[in-house]
Amino acid sequence: MKREIGILGMVICIVVGFSLGWFIPGLFTEPAPTPLIDQIQARGYIIVGTSADYPPFENKTYPGGEIVGFDIDVSQMIADALGVTLQMQDIGFDSLIGACRAGTIDMIAAAMTYNTVRAAQLAASITYISVSQVVIVKNDSLVFPAPISNLTDLIGFEVGCQLGTVMQTELEAIVGITVYTYASADVLIQDLNAGGIDAAYVDGPIFNAWEGTYVLRIIYSSEETPLALWTRHGEPALLYEINKVIFDSYQDGSMYTLINKWFGNVTA
Amino acid sequence: MPDLFDIFFYIIIHGLFNTLLLTALGLLGGFLLGIVLAIMRVYGAKELIWLSSGYEKLLRGIPILILIFIFAFGMPDLFWYLDLLDRPLASVILALALRSGAYQSQIFRGAILSVNPGQMEAAQALGMSKVQAFRSIIIPQALRLAVPSWTNEYAVVIKDSSFAYAVGIVEMTKAAYDLGVGFTDLWALSIGVAAILYFLFTYPVARVFGEQQTKKLKKLGMGGG
Repeated sequence: MKREIGILGMVICIVVGFSLGWFIPGLFTEPAPTPLIDQIQARGYIIVGTSADYPPFENKTYPGGEIVGFDIDVSQMIADALGVTLQMQDIGFDSLIGACRAGTIDMIAAAMTYNTVRAAQLAASITYISVSQVVIVKNDSLVFPAPISNLTDLIGFEVGCQLGTVMQTELEAIVGITVYTYASADVLIQDLNAGGIDAAYVDGPIFNAWEGTYVLRIIYSSEETPLALWTRHGEPALLYEINKVIFDSYQDGSMYTLINKWFGNVTA
Repeated sequence: MPDLFDIFFYIIIHGLFNTLLLTALGLLGGFLLGIVLAIMRVYGAKELIWLSSGYEKLLRGIPILILIFIFAFGMPDLFWYLDLLDRPLASVILALALRSGAYQSQIFRGAILSVNPGQMEAAQALGMSKVQAFRSIIIPQALRLAVPSWTNEYAVVIKDSSFAYAVGIVEMTKAAYDLGVGFTDLWALSIGVAAILYFLFTYPVARVFGEQQTKKLKKLGMGGG
């Protein structure tokens, strides 16, 4: 008799356990989250992540230590359109996507090139500026006396680029190039100037920013690649606002003012 | 172009507060955690010893940068009650405290064990309970014995706080880095200045608290120092 009671008890426990297990997830499912745009407007500021070591897109002032640059002015336009203040967060370039996905920041404005791998992780805005990538060398470089026609001409040489950029991916795809990665553009350019590397593969505006400091020369220029602002997937209202700001700024010319302000004579 | 004095000034103005805040709170959290873990380890039942030594082995085996990333980006809602902008700072403090707690538990375990067990017996023979004896006989001596190794832990935490730059906190390392970005010619110099500043905040403390305390303890005939 005792055994039967025991077995019955076990069966009841299993049934109750399974049925509880069936219902419990329903109890814990959160209600639909509020759209990010509402959260931003409720808290009164938008957090934009950048990696402030990439002039003229973004860098810090001295001695104030404030983050300034082209991307910051674009972000300010978006903040103005949303009616909130702008809070910049300075995070390493490689950590930006993780930070945005985790919700530490609302948007990325860090001269980040559009590509499908990134688009799978985050939602891209329409292109806010296009830049070409250039291979640069010291002006008195004997290794590259003339312009090259293809990146494969770099095979056998030591080429530097920034860590986590599309330039790194492109270079590493070509077997035979010794790729050196740098956390920031300034060290890269400095190393190029010191002769540590034969050439550097960087965004066009970077060359314009540094050609006043060092005597450099372009030997290769890629087709223009689009840069996008990034936010999380599933936030159509915020993405719409971002896209609208970019579109309108090209319509009314305010974007061209910014481009002239930060890149001088760079065509965009 | 900023001169050497300006670089010192810039790093101190922009970074010193956060570095010291991270170090102080990381050490404090680690201290509380470490004391509890050490007591568990020395006086606890088998399960508590197992728990405490397991925690310590786990935390000592994870790099601090990974811990910071786990709390800052892996668990973004961990500090849901905090303002979104303060969460990275809280994540780094938590990572430093948890890690330091693992190391400090070893420091305090050693300190407690190096107080002669005869003292515990003597105190109990005088009619003190075990808790009383621990509180007024063992702990005061153990904390003194722990000071030299604890200053070493301070030196570890203040240097580990430099990892906070990875999640966007401007402390001394980040301030020096920013200055180097702004003035490329000063890149090496500003990083060097940061190194000197860390040294200035580490060595005197280790000297004053560590070495002097070791001498004092030797005079009292305590510790091996």
